[in-house]
Amino acid sequence: MRKTRDDILVGVVIILGLLTAIVGSLWLARGGLSKGYPIYAKFAWGAGLKTGAPVWVSGAAVGYVADVNFEPDGTLLTQLRITSSQPIPKESPASVVPNGIFGDVAVNFTPKATGAKYVEGDTVVSGPASAGIAQLTAKADSITTSVAALTSAMNKELVAGGGLADLRMTLAGTNKLIGQLSAIAATQSTQLTETMTSLRRATSSIDSVKIDSTLSNLRTASGNMTSLTRSLDSTGRALNQIVAKVDSGNGSAAKLLNDPALFNDMHALLGRMDSLVADIKKNPKRYINVKVF
Amino acid sequence: MRIIDKVAGPFSRIGERGYFAADIVRALPDWRTYGRETVRQMRNVGVDSVPLTIIVAAFIGAVTAFQTRYQLFGGVQLSVVGLISRQSIILELGPLLTALVLTGRVGARITAELGTMRVTEQIDALETLAYDPIAYLVVPRVLAAIIMLPILTVFADAVGVGMAFLTSIVATDILPSDFMAGLQLAFAPFQIVYSLIKATVFGAAIAFFCSYEGYNASAGAEGVGRSTATAVVITSVAILVLDAVTALLLAPYLQA
Repeated sequence: MRKTRDDILVGVVIILGLLTAIVGSLWLARGGLSKGYPIYAKFAWGAGLKTGAPVWVSGAAVGYVADVNFEPDGTLLTQLRITSSQPIPKESPASVVPNGIFGDVAVNFTPKATGAKYVEGDTVVSGPASAGIAQLTAKADSITTSVAALTSAMNKELVAGGGLADLRMTLAGTNKLIGQLSAIAATQSTQLTETMTSLRRATSSIDSVKIDSTLSNLRTASGNMTSLTRSLDSTGRALNQIVAKVDSGNGSAAKLLNDPALFNDMHALLGRMDSLVADIKKNPKRYINVKVF
Repeated sequence: MRIIDKVAGPFSRIGERGYFAADIVRALPDWRTYGRETVRQMRNVGVDSVPLTIIVAAFIGAVTAFQTRYQLFGGVQLSVVGLISRQSIILELGPLLTALVLTGRVGARITAELGTMRVTEQIDALETLAYDPIAYLVVPRVLAAIIMLPILTVFADAVGVGMAFLTSIVATDILPSDFMAGLQLAFAPFQIVYSLIKATVFGAAIAFFCSYEGYNASAGAEGVGRSTATAVVITSVAILVLDAVTALLLAPYLQA
């Protein structure tokens, strides 16, 4: 009897243990004892998906990633097992989104109000992948590398290369220069004040009445100059008209200047005048006969 | 001469245990001898250890979850507590602490029983009666430990994770949904298998080392006490060494 009781107790404990192991494994692997239904999604390689990753609809858990398979076309064929009774609207895109800061990811549906819902075996629409922790970490790494390189270069130039000492000397020199400039500025300020005082005194000594009369005279002279300029201008125009008439050949003066026959006549006349004068000099009595009585 | 003994001593002790293991394997076909006794030992080793295992696992789970929660810095999602609790308890604490606790409860008992039989010449009497004492006394204990340690470890894992869940939602600010999300994240059934493999190895170690020390006890009651203490120490160290070895061998397969 004793041994029979032992047998039963041992059997019960072993069966309980096996049931606990099986049910616990199924529960952990499936996200509950509900079997749910599978739908499928394709994501790019490197999305970081693992089996057991949660599936969300706008952040609310509705299932888990049941299987992830590499496809030769560069995608991950992912089986999403939906254990929730909440329907997922059809055409809702699924995206791989970060889940915490340790690089975990989840699949998140952004619901669309289409009326229909995803059913078993459907392939869902893949949405854009958001930047994951890996990308952010890579970016941070590159920034860190740049900062490290910059620090190294600064260390090389400023510390090892003596740049820091040079900088310190430059600052000291600049300080000294500023001191000197300040002293000069103080001196110049005093002199400038004196100059301004003298100028103010000279300005006050000027007779404004004389300046006014001088300005009035200047204004009058300027008016006279203006009228003179106007007269000169009209004279010029008159001269231009005369010259134009002369050039045109009309009138006595023009003919006098332009007629070659007249010139020849004048030339012949002068020749005869010369002969007459010569004759008069030679024989004055022929032409001049003076009688007193 | 003493130097040679000192140098050869460890090898000699290893060799003696090797022979003992060979005797156990040789006795395995004689199942009629150890069949009924094995069930009785399974009751002693397994069924009677369930309460102690559950108490230890409950406290381990509670402390693991509580401490994990307050080690997290700001910005870390709280579901991590579920993930860390599950991984710590199933992969390490469940099998290891169950084995260490049972080393004290079961291993010490095995050594004391066999040692007393040895010093009171009961084992010699069995040999006189043409019984194989290895098949009758040692094999049932080894088989019982190998079978029942994984069962107890399953209970320890379940209770530990359950208590981690209760502690998280009652004593900390973690929501049940957060804990459950972490608990189910990246779970692979091999994690349970890994835990059970460890438990099986630990069970074999407990029964083997403790049986050996008891079977070879000498010098009366004092010798039995000394053998019991030695068995507990050796088994505890062996369990830790085997824990490291199994981790080195099996952990790569845990990669999801």
